[in-house]
Amino acid sequence: MTQSAVDFIIDYLLAKRPDLTSIDLDLDLIENRILDSLGFVNFLYVVEEHTGTEISLDDVTPEDFRTVRSIAKRFFDGADVG
Amino acid sequence: MTATVLDSAERLKDILDRLVAKSEADYYNPYQLFQWPDTLPQEQYWMSPELMSVHGTEVGAELTEEQLHKLSKWESVNFYSLNVHGIRELITEVIARIHTKEFKLTSEYFHHIIGEENEHMWFFARFCNQYGGKIYPDLTFKFDQASTDGPAAHFLVFARLLLFEEIVDFFNKRMGEDERLDPTIRKVNAIHHQDESRHVAFGRQIVSLLWKDLAAKSDESELEAVRAYLKAYLRRSLESLVNPAAFRDAGIPEPYKARNRVLADPAHADLDRAILKRSVKFLVAEGILLTESIDA
Repeated sequence: MTQSAVDFIIDYLLAKRPDLTSIDLDLDLIENRILDSLGFVNFLYVVEEHTGTEISLDDVTPEDFRTVRSIAKRFFDGADVG
Repeated sequence: MTATVLDSAERLKDILDRLVAKSEADYYNPYQLFQWPDTLPQEQYWMSPELMSVHGTEVGAELTEEQLHKLSKWESVNFYSLNVHGIRELITEVIARIHTKEFKLTSEYFHHIIGEENEHMWFFARFCNQYGGKIYPDLTFKFDQASTDGPAAHFLVFARLLLFEEIVDFFNKRMGEDERLDPTIRKVNAIHHQDESRHVAFGRQIVSLLWKDLAAKSDESELEAVRAYLKAYLRRSLESLVNPAAFRDAGIPEPYKARNRVLADPAHADLDRAILKRSVKFLVAEGILLTESIDA
């Protein structure tokens, strides 16, 4: 999958940013401060819980978290996001 | 100029002289100070039960005494791991400023801070590795390379360091005196509390001065952004004390759900308020925060 993983990521991020009504798959989450350093750990835990896999920061880069598409591809088994 | 703000601060000069003298008088060799027994007793608390994240919560009420003992071990390893990572950041930031023009006045004392913090980092890391077999990893992820120069950057660095030290000291002070804890645990906390009292005294002075400098040079929207960042930093610092990896290592099922339940529990919020009480009062008294709430 899965579209549900994409929806899940977007729903989480929108809940953190109620000023936004939608988040495009390719929107730069870091540039737009939707993901920032202080909020990152909680997002990491949410992804870990959802995927059932602990994520080592030694194995990831900021680029993995740049967009919803890159997050889905990197952490949700290459989710079908085009 | 920050140089003017610090250089003209007579009170800071006096305090620095006293702190340097006290650091020299209290100097000890940490590498010979602790006994480091091979193991610590497993069937007892490693952390004051009142300071555990689950204290008074529904999650805590569901745990057996044995599970609470295990969790106290892993929450204490998490706490010392946070110290290791926080101290590394502190040393890095202080080294970036030592013997620069703006921090000429404080450079002598910076040498003491760097030396003492290096030793603290050593004994916290030793504790984690010897009794937990690991240091929990640092989950700080720097997306944004913040500026290291200018009044906002200087203020935020020293404010973060002060708040980190005050949060840690809340635990050290209490665990250093808690007779229910093993003597090694008490000593690590007591020694850190003794040294940190000097660092906190310095931190409050420099944060107060750097805030005045920043406030004089910034408009209200810039100050509001700094306030929002500090509040987010405090929330993040408190949340980092509730680590799902510690729940997992203690054998608690569904560690992420347990963490979320703890964070949402009013009893845990009471602990958070107690931890921050002293710091928030200082921030409000200085005009750094406008109210005692750290909500977004």
